[in-house]
Parts: sequence; structure tokens; C-alpha cells
Amino acid sequence: MSEMAPARTYSQIVGSQFRKNKLAVMSLHIIYVLLFVFIFADFLANDKPIVMRYQGSTYFPVFREYGVKWFGLNWQDAFKSQQFKILEKKYGEGDWAIYPVIPYSSTEYNLQVKLQPPSRAHIFGTDELGRDVLSQMIHGARVSLLVGFVAVAIYVFIGVILGALAGFYGGIIDIVIQRLIEIMITFPRMFLIITIVAVMETQSIINIMIILGLTGWTGVARFTRGEFLKVKNEDYVVAAKALGYRDFRTIFRHVLPNTLTPVLVTATFGVAAAILIESGLSFLGFGAPPEQATWGSLLSSARDTLPTGWWLTTFPGLAIFITVTVYNLVGEGLRDALDPRLKQ
Amino acid sequence: MKKSFLIQFSLLLLLIILANLGLRPAENLINDELGNAGGIRVDLTGEETIFESSPTGKEPQQGGTLVLAESAHPEHLNTFTSTSAAATRILDNIYETLLGYDFRTWRYDKPVLAESFSVSEDGYTLTFKIRKNVYWHDGEQLTAHDVLFSLKSILNPFVDSAPTRSSFQKVTSARTEGDFIFSVTSSETHFRNQEILGGFHIIPKHVWDPEGLLDRYSVEDLLNPSVTREEAAIKGFADAFNVHPQGRPVGDDAEPIIGSGPWVFDKWITGDYISYAKNNNYWNADETYEEGFSEDGAYLDKVIVKVISDATARLTALKAGELDFIPRMRAVQYFTQTNTPDFLEKFQKVNYVVPAYSYVGWNNDRPYFKDKRVRQAMTMLIDRDNYNENVAYGLGIPTIGPFYIYGKQYNHNIERWPYDPQRAVELIEEAGWIDHDGDGIRDKDGIPFNFTFSVSSGSTSSKYLALMLKEDLRKVGIVVNIRQLEWSVYVENLRDRQFDVVSLLWIGGLEMDPYQIWHSDNIGDRGSNYMGFRHAEADSLIEKARYELDEGKRNAMYFRLQEIFHEEQPYTFMFYQRDPGAYLKEFHGVKWLPIRPGYRLNSWWRNTASVGATS
Repeated sequence: MSEMAPARTYSQIVGSQFRKNKLAVMSLHIIYVLLFVFIFADFLANDKPIVMRYQGSTYFPVFREYGVKWFGLNWQDAFKSQQFKILEKKYGEGDWAIYPVIPYSSTEYNLQVKLQPPSRAHIFGTDELGRDVLSQMIHGARVSLLVGFVAVAIYVFIGVILGALAGFYGGIIDIVIQRLIEIMITFPRMFLIITIVAVMETQSIINIMIILGLTGWTGVARFTRGEFLKVKNEDYVVAAKALGYRDFRTIFRHVLPNTLTPVLVTATFGVAAAILIESGLSFLGFGAPPEQATWGSLLSSARDTLPTGWWLTTFPGLAIFITVTVYNLVGEGLRDALDPRLKQ
Repeated sequence: MKKSFLIQFSLLLLLIILANLGLRPAENLINDELGNAGGIRVDLTGEETIFESSPTGKEPQQGGTLVLAESAHPEHLNTFTSTSAAATRILDNIYETLLGYDFRTWRYDKPVLAESFSVSEDGYTLTFKIRKNVYWHDGEQLTAHDVLFSLKSILNPFVDSAPTRSSFQKVTSARTEGDFIFSVTSSETHFRNQEILGGFHIIPKHVWDPEGLLDRYSVEDLLNPSVTREEAAIKGFADAFNVHPQGRPVGDDAEPIIGSGPWVFDKWITGDYISYAKNNNYWNADETYEEGFSEDGAYLDKVIVKVISDATARLTALKAGELDFIPRMRAVQYFTQTNTPDFLEKFQKVNYVVPAYSYVGWNNDRPYFKDKRVRQAMTMLIDRDNYNENVAYGLGIPTIGPFYIYGKQYNHNIERWPYDPQRAVELIEEAGWIDHDGDGIRDKDGIPFNFTFSVSSGSTSSKYLALMLKEDLRKVGIVVNIRQLEWSVYVENLRDRQFDVVSLLWIGGLEMDPYQIWHSDNIGDRGSNYMGFRHAEADSLIEKARYELDEGKRNAMYFRLQEIFHEEQPYTFMFYQRDPGAYLKEFHGVKWLPIRPGYRLNSWWRNTASVGATS
């Protein structure tokens, strides 16, 4: 070598590879936006003001709501009914309120404006009960992303452990785990999920996340097992064994980190798949409880009103499509960036 | 790879845009001007009791098929143990009764299976002379023994027919004389005596009890607890009866239900359809036709009742020509999705009153709803008019009680509870539901006001009602959880009284005996007083009124009873229903009646000459 390249770490190499893929980078930015929406949904669409001045004091009702929900705080007496818009009529001198960009909550209904096409007041229109579609989509984004991440986290966890055990030990453990995987994949997943959900006493997205997690781990387990088989006879593994490390340490400190990257790629695709399944379940009415806005349930309510309410199908449909697409694109970009064979 | 994604993306965008361009703009988004969206409104008030939306014409044609769609399968088709309206709608075509409504006078005295009947001087015994020319679908002759057997099946205490049986409480004995005389005696005369004792379905004894297990026991025996406890055969019969294959003839090879009516049972394919065909050997077919009186023969060859649980799919199937008739569609479909000239040219839209009312039922035994003030407050918290106008498109007729709104029993002097959240909150606080611990949720004796609204998963309108209520009650410090349940689970929970709040429909008749639903006898043990309404005065009024034959006196008692209902609010009475429907204009003789289900397919005939038959 005639030239000395500056030493680059692994992540720098992967990063620069990834950045070459414009589409993936763009998708990543869209994911950032989605994450922003996910975290700040309550500040983007809410019927409570972010800041308000009322009778000489300043209040932060959106923050207060978190306090009430999680920290056992109570609403101030004046706000017990949480009807801030009605309170406006009582405003005196110097009272004001700053509302979120979309001043509607996802559950607030107003039958007088039902099924309104997009307008300045309701940018994405309203549904059959006069609820704001954009607000429901913003809060629905929370459900979709949460389900995607948590379900995938659960199944990656299960899959990696089972796959690692099968790959590392082989023999009877491998056979048992492999048969378990085969049993799991013989069930059509969607039907299995619908059956379990139908038996469940209560509807909640937590159930959905757990069920998706418990049924989705087979792919990850096979992947990890394969990687383990590839790596387990490498010198450093043999060295670890020779040094007398316990299996636990060998598996999780030495082998696993070297097999994890392809798993992360599948996980990215997995998020997209979980979001799709959740939308499908909500569409069928098996998903989130009815008061919880999700993209799938929005689509399903839209079906009742077609052909009148085109805005009810278009926007949630696009949201699902875009989200699933960007996750797939990022997954693809990651895979390409991590694949050593593609490196120049 | 990357390019293909871009191409897919833009293709999808294009598709969405194209799909939306193809859609028509909102056809008639009604808010202020309701109109009738090109349909006929059938109200059947006053003198008019039958309305014909497509004239019969002089010479009805024979033949043809009618395909209609319902939203759900009946749980089963055992006529005495079923309480579902879906089952009754099928079985009324296959089984017959001794007497029927005279559609001109609306008295229940038209002889059907009975050729004639007489009432004894004291009024306690009814004697029916059974026709000698009636044969079951399998060719056997129908006799008085079948009639007696049917009554015994209802009265058998182990048969799962408690709701049906509650009307027969005062029956003391019944017997046959020869093969064609049947008489039944009661200790008191119910004001709907003929309707009850002449109005139950007659089922064939040779099919349901070929071994004659019940022959050994008289009606007196069956009514005597000491006999029924001793005799194992009575329980044995009932156990077999409750699960008899005639009650669930599912599949291609199932034995068909044997009845005597103008229609023969054809097939029940679960998840798909139930069908019945014209009975070509019907005993009554050649009887002289008399408008409004004898309209019993059928013209159509076959009726297929498809089960399509989804309302959107039903309407799509109708538009696609797979269905000929939808008896019930969603209001939003009737008013906004069926107004195109094409649709109106091909289909006739009708909305018709049925004697059924919707209600929100509060489980009176739950701590939240024990106090009548809370129940009154709940009623005042539901913005019924707003709901009716905007969700039901004005199809509901507000009601204050359970009686048929156009009938003689309905008390028009009572004023509906207004929508008044402020007064409601005062009442709730008066009842002791105050936010003691300051967590924003009202509580009393340590119980937070946090209840569950059960919604049947097929019902969009009750889902919307629940969502509205949840949002409104949140503002007054009450938490509502919404639980969607499959219909069969929903009904099961209802019977076991495992619910806080339900939203449902009761289907009644022109005249009603409130005993089954409102008397405290029928709480628990799967009786129909699901809400657990207990009121001493109401109980005694209900008991007295049932056996009061003087109409004026009786209705005075029912008027008082409605005052009690109004005050107690065991239910929040919502609306008497207008069902919006549509049928193909090829059909004639389409009549609407004020008895359930609101139409009778017997008089329908299909004009196949005008357009080619579709199915």
C-alpha cells in the first residue's frame, strides 16, 4: 500500500457505507420525524393548552396530564372537568392559552362537523363522529411505533437466546429448539394471533405486543443459530473455551456480539412487519380497544363510509405505507452497509 | 432494488389518486335537510296498518329466488329454547301456529292450524278444532297430539325455555279429545291469552319424541314439581330436547327441520347461508286469496338468507347483484351511499317502523347504578337527540318506555328526560358520588365510578354511543371502559348478568306483556330481567294487568307502570326503530307490517319478465 488511510473504526466504515445510500438516509430522516411525533404526540395534537394564563397564574395542562397519569398528581380545581375550550368563555383580562398545532384530542368528538373533508380547521378532515383525523393519526402513530418496537424487542430477545443455545450446544438442545421452531411456523401466524386475541378477556395493545413478540421469534432464532454455527469454530471461540471460560461468558461476551448485526437487520424489517400486522388486526377489530386511535382502526372505520370519506382511507393508508416502506429501506441500507462483500 | 422501491411508491401514490378521482363526491351530506334520500318512509301510524311499496298487480308470477342478507346466524334453530330474533325470522316461515293475526283488525283470531276455536263461559278454557288437512313436510299428518306435545315441551321445567315459559305460567291443564280437538285451561285469563295459547309454534311429535317419552306425563304432571323431580324421564327428555339435531340442522347432510308451514327448510351452511324453499304441498296454498287476511301461500321458489356480518360488504353485494334485498342497512349507507340515479333506478329504498326499541341498560345491581338518581343522571348525560340526528340520521323515534310507540299501551303524557349534564352532575353528587380522594374520578365508599360498557363487536352504532359516552363522562369524573365482545359471548354475559352496561334492542309486538322483562321474578336463572329491576309497585301492577281483560283499566295500569319506569330509569330508553332497507324493483307485492320483522316474504313475487333473473 502506497497510501496510509487514516484508521477508521467499524462504525465509521458502516456509517459511511450507509450514507452512500441516499434513499436509506432519507428514510432514516423520516423515521426521526416519526420518532419525534411518537414522543411529542401530546404536544402536537391535544385539546388541552400547552401553556395558559388563567386568573393570574400560569399553568401547563399538557404536562399536568402526565403528572396526573403517572405521578398521582391531581387536576387543579378549576380544571377538574378538563374542558379548557369551555373555560375560554370565562377568560378575564390578561388570560390566554397556547394550544398545540392541532387543537383537538384524538377522542374529542363533535357531531356537528362529522365527515368533513379536509379544511383549514381539520387538515385531514373528520370521521363519522366528527373527530379530527390528523389528531387520531398522530396518536395512532404512537400505537404503531410502540407495537413495532416492543414486539420486535420481545422476539429478538427470545429468538437470540434460543438461537444461541441451539447453535452453540448443538445436539439434543439443537434438535428440541429446531422442532419447536418448526411447530411454531406451521401455524399460520395471523390466524394464531386472531385466535389468541379472540380468547383474551380484554383488548389492549399490550396484549398485541406480547402476542406478536411470542409468535415472531422463529426467524431470529434460525438466523442466530446459523451465525453461531458459522462462528463457533473460529479461533477466538476455541481460545475462549481453552481459557476455561464458562459457557455463559463465551456465548454472550464472545460469540454473540459477532453474530448480532444480521439480526439487527432482520429486526428492522420486523418492525415494519409488526406495524403492518397491528394495522391489520385493528382493521379487523381485534387490535387496540375502540377508544384507542390507530391507523388500522381509522382505515376500518373509513370502509363504512366509502365512497364518501376518501380522506379517511387516503391519509392513514399513506401513513402505514410510508412507515413500512422507510423501515424496509433503512433495513436494506443497513444490510448493504454491513455486508463486507459489498465493500469496495 | 432501490429504483424498484421508488417505482412501487409512485405507482401506489398514483393508484390512490386514481381511486379517489373515481369516487363520487359526497352525494348528499345531510345535516339540516334530512329528506328521505329517495326512499319511502313507512310509518304505519293511525288507521294504516299495512303499506305496500310495490303493488301486487293482478297476476303474481310464481317462481324465482330471493336472496337477502342478515348480519348474523342464529345461535341455533330450536324454536322453544331460542330467544334470538334471527331464529324467529327463519322459523316463522317453517312452523305454524294455531292462530294468527288478522291483518285487517290486528286481532289475534285468524284461524291457521286451528279451523276454529271457542272460549269456555268462564273464559278459562280455550278449545281448538285442528284442521284435518294439514301434513308435515315429511308427509305425516298433523294432529292435536302434536299440539299437546309442543305445549308439554315448553312446560317441561328442564327444557331451556324459561323466557317462553314465563307467558304460560297460569296454564293448569291441557288435553286432547280424539285426534283433532285440543283444549287448554288456565287459572286466570291473560289479556293476550289467544296470542299466547294460540301463538306458539307447533312442532312434530314423531320427530322430536319418537319414543313417546312425554306421553306418560300429563300437563298437570309437568307442572307439579314433586313429579318432575321424581321422574328421570322428564329430565332425560329435556336434555335430549335442548340439543336435538332438529335445532341445529347444519351442513349438507343434516336432516331438515320438519314443520308444516308454507316454506320447507332447505339448508344451513354455517358462515354462508340458511335457505328455505316453497312448500309445494302446502295445505293452505289454494285457499281463496283475501287481501289482508289470507296471504299464506308463497310465490317465490326459494329464499336464501345469506349471512354477511359486515354492513359495507352487504351493501356492496347488493350493488353487485348478489343480493336482492337488505332488510337493514346502516343509516349512513341509506342516506349517503345509495343516492345515485343508478341505484335508485334499480332498487327501492324503504325505511319502516318495527316494534323494537333500542336502550342502554344499566345493571341495577352494580354499586354505580343502584341509586335511581344515578340512573336518571346517566339518561340526562346521553345527548340522545344529537345522537339520533347525526349518527342515526333521524331514523330513531324517541321513546320514554318499552311499549309500542304507535300502540294503545304507550303513555304519551310522560315527558322525556332532557339532555342536561348540569342537573345530572347535581344528582350524581346528591347520590354520594363525589371525588373524595381527589384523583379526578368520583367515588363512593371507596369504589371509584369506573364501569365497563359492553359493545357487540358488530354494532357500529353502539360503539359510537359508547365512545361518545366515554368522552362525555370523562369530563364529569366518571371512567368508562369499552369492551367489544363477539355476539355469542355478549349474549352469554347478558344472560349470566355479567356486565355493567349494555346497549341493545328489544323486539316487541303491538301489545306487550311486560312480565318477562320487568318483573322481579325473572331476575337471574337466565330470566330476561337482565338489568335486575326490582320495584314492588311495578311488580304488582304487572301481575294485575296481565289478567285484567278490560282494556281501559289495563292500560291505565300500564300508564302508571311507565311512570315508574320513567322515574326509576332501569334503562335509558333510546328510540323506536325505523329500519332502512332496499330491495330490487323486480319484486312486487312488497308489504310492510307493524309486526316483526316488518315484512312478510309470502306475498312477494318476482317479475322475471322485465329483467333477466339474476340468480
